[in-house]
Amino acid sequence: MKKFCTPIEHVSRRAFLKGTFGTVTGGLLMNWGGLWHAAENVKNERKHCILLWMNGGVSQFETFDMKPGRPTGGLFRPIQTNVTGIQICELMPNIARQMDKLAVIRSMHTSQIDHPGGIHLMHTGYAATANIRYPEIGAIMAKYLGKEESDLPDFIKISSQGNSGAGYLGPKYQPFNLDHSGNLPPFSLSRLDPQDELRRHELRQFVEGEFAKKHKVETARMHQEAYEGVRRLQRAKAVFDIEDEWEKYRDRYGDSKFGKRCLLARRLIESGVAFVEVGQSSYDTHADNFTGHKGLLPPMEQAWAALLVDLEERGLLQSTLVVWMGEIGRTPRINNRSGRDHYVRAWSTALAGAGIKGGQVYGATDKDGIDVKDNPVTEGDFFATIYKAVGINPKKEHYQGIRPIPIAPFGSKVVDELLRS
Amino acid sequence: MPAFQPNKVQLLCDLTFEGAWPTTVAFLGSSRRLAAGNRDGQLFIWELPDKQTKEPPPPVRFLQGHTNGITRLRATRDGKTLVSSSLDRSVRLWDTTAPTTGSTEVVLDMKTREQEARRQRKPEIVTKPGVKVATQTAAHVFQVHQNWVQALDLSGDEKRLITGDDNGMTIVWDLASRKEIARWTGYPGNWITSAALTSDGQTAFVAEFCSRRGDFDRPPAQARIYDASTGKEKLDILKVQFPNVKKRDNSYGYATTWGKFVARGFVAADFSPDDNILAVGQGGETGTGKVHLLDSRTGKLIRSVSGHQYGVTDVQFSADGQFVLSAGRDTSIRICRVSDGKEIAKLGKERGGQFKDWFHAVDVSPDQQCVAAADIAGQVRVWRLG
Repeated sequence: MKKFCTPIEHVSRRAFLKGTFGTVTGGLLMNWGGLWHAAENVKNERKHCILLWMNGGVSQFETFDMKPGRPTGGLFRPIQTNVTGIQICELMPNIARQMDKLAVIRSMHTSQIDHPGGIHLMHTGYAATANIRYPEIGAIMAKYLGKEESDLPDFIKISSQGNSGAGYLGPKYQPFNLDHSGNLPPFSLSRLDPQDELRRHELRQFVEGEFAKKHKVETARMHQEAYEGVRRLQRAKAVFDIEDEWEKYRDRYGDSKFGKRCLLARRLIESGVAFVEVGQSSYDTHADNFTGHKGLLPPMEQAWAALLVDLEERGLLQSTLVVWMGEIGRTPRINNRSGRDHYVRAWSTALAGAGIKGGQVYGATDKDGIDVKDNPVTEGDFFATIYKAVGINPKKEHYQGIRPIPIAPFGSKVVDELLRS
Repeated sequence: MPAFQPNKVQLLCDLTFEGAWPTTVAFLGSSRRLAAGNRDGQLFIWELPDKQTKEPPPPVRFLQGHTNGITRLRATRDGKTLVSSSLDRSVRLWDTTAPTTGSTEVVLDMKTREQEARRQRKPEIVTKPGVKVATQTAAHVFQVHQNWVQALDLSGDEKRLITGDDNGMTIVWDLASRKEIARWTGYPGNWITSAALTSDGQTAFVAEFCSRRGDFDRPPAQARIYDASTGKEKLDILKVQFPNVKKRDNSYGYATTWGKFVARGFVAADFSPDDNILAVGQGGETGTGKVHLLDSRTGKLIRSVSGHQYGVTDVQFSADGQFVLSAGRDTSIRICRVSDGKEIAKLGKERGGQFKDWFHAVDVSPDQQCVAAADIAGQVRVWRLG
């Protein structure tokens, strides 16, 4: 029996209620976008985004901004990429072969040096404040790139760490979280017999309907929509089961959990999901930075390169932005634990796919990687560029009361050099 | 040979080796000659003084060739042959008596100079000439490994060499012919973190580890004894220790069941001179790194000794096999009696903040008179015993 329903099989299905839903027990709310549409349409329609999140703060010295021969350089050596003149770390040979697709930013200069602050900052573009709950990039993209009345959520996280959620956009755009292996959360899977499930659903609908007649409250509506969303997910859940494809793609993506997550991300994008975040943890290498990166980077970069190739082969790369980043960089100085600590004065990120001009390095740091030498990019600039790449106006404002809040912070500049003209 | 006497210890000298971390050290033939390498791939030989001195001698030879960190050094007992393994993926064989090929100027006290220049406000101190050192190149380069070579050992009869890399490849070499005797691989993706040969070179211990931290469905650590001539497995030590753990257990299983035994991998190993005991050191940054003494025939744990806060970096038996020395991430060398595990002496003093500086490696001179440690602060510390 075929496990995976292709997106085209869902085209004619009737759309259910748009919007949000929460779990029965805890109010966990997810976003839902449009009708699950055909892969061909995905290619031609609005943009998508995959965020590869290197939790803990991946080292720029062990990836894209090497300083060989300098005291800060560390133990790895640079290798040539498929773009003349651009070298990256030897730990990333597969990415080196895809460098023509990448725009590397070596001049990130951000403001939050600890993990919670950095995670918030690099998921929202804003430093956390007490009075405004900023939405994550995934929520923004779900709002502007999501499809109405989908069987699938438009903001999905696989083993990732963002801590802000939908913020002021409201629960409709909350992330839908999968676990480390890409499994659906237990609440989304019914263990009841389908007939029992249907009877229960009808009974719940009746009770909720009666309640809603008497109480015109938003929470009741959200609760009802949440249930509808979960019921729709039952029809689409086959897309989360990658086992039928894994045999074929294991060698390409690498036999790792991160590889599986990336393959699942591709399937979700292909099925019309607007934003998928894929996480890999343990980059906080205050101790044993080199062995830490030696263990973490090879499976990550193999899966990342495979994802780029896979998306390209399916004609999806031109419509899918792939963002690679962590929340912070790591210090030039190597401490007495053979580690590197937190650093945000000069570090690296990378972009590929939709709207991005690949095969380039933007910005530069000084000889020891201590400061940005050319073309600093702030968090605001970075997010403004990302939003523009996927066709979202970074200056568009949302309102908290009467206060306008642009999607990217005031004063942010789009780095046009990174974008295809 | 004089007895190993750890009861009376006196610091002989601190050899200046600033710059990248000194990572490894080996005496050459006696307690008067010593080689040490660092994380930049620099490898020097020093002639040691007779008496205690505060004025360290400069190196007498610069062994040129490595282009990345040196991980281990092993020398024959006569000190004529030195073997070095490196992160540059090569293993180099040096004839330490060969004629030198030239000379070069080296500066091994740059950190001190910079401090002095700041203190005295005399920037010219930094640019003062260095010392002239004779240079030589390797007698042979084993250029077979395709990844970092972190494991190296020489058999007791000095006929065989074992090397292990971060592709999981182990190779046993015939030292005289420089040809391979056997090679085998461990779990894909695992690194060979330590290897040791018995005195006759017929049996090998190999440890694997990889910092994958829960991201794979494969065991990140292994510790096995092999027939060194064929690469055939003779004993799975983790299976002996944990008979109920599945062979292909995942990293979660490792974390919960193997973690206390393996810690962050066995980074150092040595067979006792009679081959009956295998000492392995728990490395990586861990709570307290222990040295396990294992029965080399059964794999059973005899006892755990020593205990370096944050991890062990190196392990070596004394020539009489009565003591085991370990270096660690707590700026110390610990000397323990094998028979009862009692710590007899501790060399060095904790230095650093919350986390201490490391002694990266230890070696005992063939005449049992001296102990040396590679100190990441930029020196090689040499103590005289007895």
